[in-house]
Amino acid sequence: MLSNILEVFARPDFPEKLREHVVLSLVALLVAVAIAMPVALMIRNTRLGAAIAINIGNVGRAVPSLAILALALPLLGIGFASALVALTALAIPPILINASTGLREVNKDVIDAARGMGLSGGQILARIQLPIAAPVIFAGIRTSAVQTVASATLATFIGGGGLGDLIVEGYSERGPEILLAGAIAVAILAIITEVGFGALERAFTPKGLKIAQKRGR
Amino acid sequence: MKNRTKLIRAVPALLTGLSLLLVVACGNVGGTDSSSGGSSGPTITVGSKDFTEQFILGSMYAQALDANGFNGVAKLDLGSAPIADKALQNGQIDLYPEYTGTSLVEILPYKGNPADLNSPRATYEAAKKLYAKRSPADKMLTPAPFNNTYGIFVRSSVAEKDDLTNMDELAQDSKNLTFISFSQFQNRSDGYPNMQKNYPALDFEEIKIVNNLGLRYSGLQSGEGDVGVGFTTDGQLTSDQLVVMEDPKSIWPFYHPAPVVRSDVLKKYPKVEKVLNEVTASLGLDTMRELNGKVDLDQEDPEDVAKEYLEEKGIID
Repeated sequence: MLSNILEVFARPDFPEKLREHVVLSLVALLVAVAIAMPVALMIRNTRLGAAIAINIGNVGRAVPSLAILALALPLLGIGFASALVALTALAIPPILINASTGLREVNKDVIDAARGMGLSGGQILARIQLPIAAPVIFAGIRTSAVQTVASATLATFIGGGGLGDLIVEGYSERGPEILLAGAIAVAILAIITEVGFGALERAFTPKGLKIAQKRGR
Repeated sequence: MKNRTKLIRAVPALLTGLSLLLVVACGNVGGTDSSSGGSSGPTITVGSKDFTEQFILGSMYAQALDANGFNGVAKLDLGSAPIADKALQNGQIDLYPEYTGTSLVEILPYKGNPADLNSPRATYEAAKKLYAKRSPADKMLTPAPFNNTYGIFVRSSVAEKDDLTNMDELAQDSKNLTFISFSQFQNRSDGYPNMQKNYPALDFEEIKIVNNLGLRYSGLQSGEGDVGVGFTTDGQLTSDQLVVMEDPKSIWPFYHPAPVVRSDVLKKYPKVEKVLNEVTASLGLDTMRELNGKVDLDQEDPEDVAKEYLEEKGIID
C-alpha cells in the first residue's frame, strides 16, 4: 500500500497539482489579508463596526463553500478565478475576527498613557496597538492559512485543479491509494503551513510580550 | 459581563441550537438518504451510487419492493461503485443498481478488455458469471434494454461550423477545441485513454477538469468548452444545444443497468427477483433521460419522480 501511495506522488501530473494547490491557497490568503486587515484597522475604534465585522465573519464561516463556488461560476467561469473567489471568501473571516478583536482588546490604560504622552492616533496604532495585537492577528492568519490549504481541495469541482483532483479521482477507484495520496498530501501541506505560520507568529511577537507571556502575566 | 453583552452572545447560540434541532427533526443530515417504506414484511435494503440516475433507480426498486409485501428501505447516495459494492458484500445493503460494463471495469476481476465484448448479452453474461463466483455470491439480474454509455458531445454551433458528426471527425478537429472532462473519466481505463487509443488523432487544445456534472454542463453552455463528456441518459442531453458524437468504432463496453442482489437474499425471498425484473424491464433510454431531466433540470425529488413513474406504469398504485 505504501509503495502504491508513493507511486502516486511520482506521477507526472502530481507536481502540477501540488503547485496549483499551493498557488491557489497562497493567493487566496494574501488577498484575504489585503481585504481583512484594512477593514479591521478601520473599525478598531468603533463598537458598532466591530460588532458588524464579527457577525459578518461568523456568517462567512457558516456559508457552504460549494454555494460560493456556484455563485462565482456565472461571473468568472470555470477555473482559477472562481476557485480563488470562493477560497478568499472563506479565508477572510478568521483574519477579520482576530484582527478586529485583537486591536480592540489592547488595554485601554496603555492607550490612555500613550495619548497622555502626546502620541497621535497613527503613532498609537503603529507603535502600541499593532505590536500588542500582533500575536492575535497572526493567530488569525495562521488559522486562516491552514483552513485555506485544506479547503483548496474544493477547487476540483470548478476546474481549479489542485490536490482535490486526486481525491475525487481516487474516490471511485477500487483501491484507496490515489485517494490516500491526495489526502495525505493535503494533510502534510496543512501541517507545514501550521508550523511555518506558528514560527512567523513567534517572530512577530514583540520581545516585551514574550517576556510577559513567559512570566505568566 | 454586562447584560447586553450576554444577550448579544446568546443570540447566535440560540440560533445555532434552533437550526440544529430543525435539521435533526427533518431527519436527513448529510448526503445519505435513508427512507423506510413503513410496510410490514421482511426488510430489504436498496443502496445506490452517487448520481441522479442511481437515486431514481434505487428509489424505484425500494418502492416496488415496498408495494409487494416487503419493507423496502432506500439507502441512496452511498458513493462510488467500489463503496456500494463493499456495502453489498458486507450486508449493509441487499442490492443496488449497477451497470453491466461498469461492474467488469470497476468491481469484478475481469481479465480482458470489456469493450471487446461485442454484445450487451455477452457483457451481461460475463458479469453475471463473475458475480456468481464471489463470496458471498451475488446475482446480477436481467439488465434494462438500453445502454447508458459515455456520450461525447459537442456544442451545436461548433458541430455545425466544423461539420462534426462522429468521433473520427472530432479527433481530426480536436486541436482547435477545448474539452471539459472529469477526473474519473480522464484516468479510468475505459475513459479518455480508451478514446485516445482508438482515435489517435485526438489532441485537444485544452482539457479542463471540472468534477461536478452540473458545472460541466453549465461551462459548456456558457462557451467555456466546446466538447464535453457525459452519460447518454443525462437529462441535459435532451437539449438541442448539444450534439452527441457517433462512435463508429464502438470503443466502449455496454453499460446496461442491472440490479445486483446478494444471492442469499434471493434464496430467502425469491419474489424479490420478480419484483425487480418488472421494474427493470419497463425502462428505456428516452424514459430514463426524461426522468433524469426531471431531477437535474426541474429540481424534482428523485423519490417523487420514481413514485410517479411506478404509478404511471401500474407497478405500484
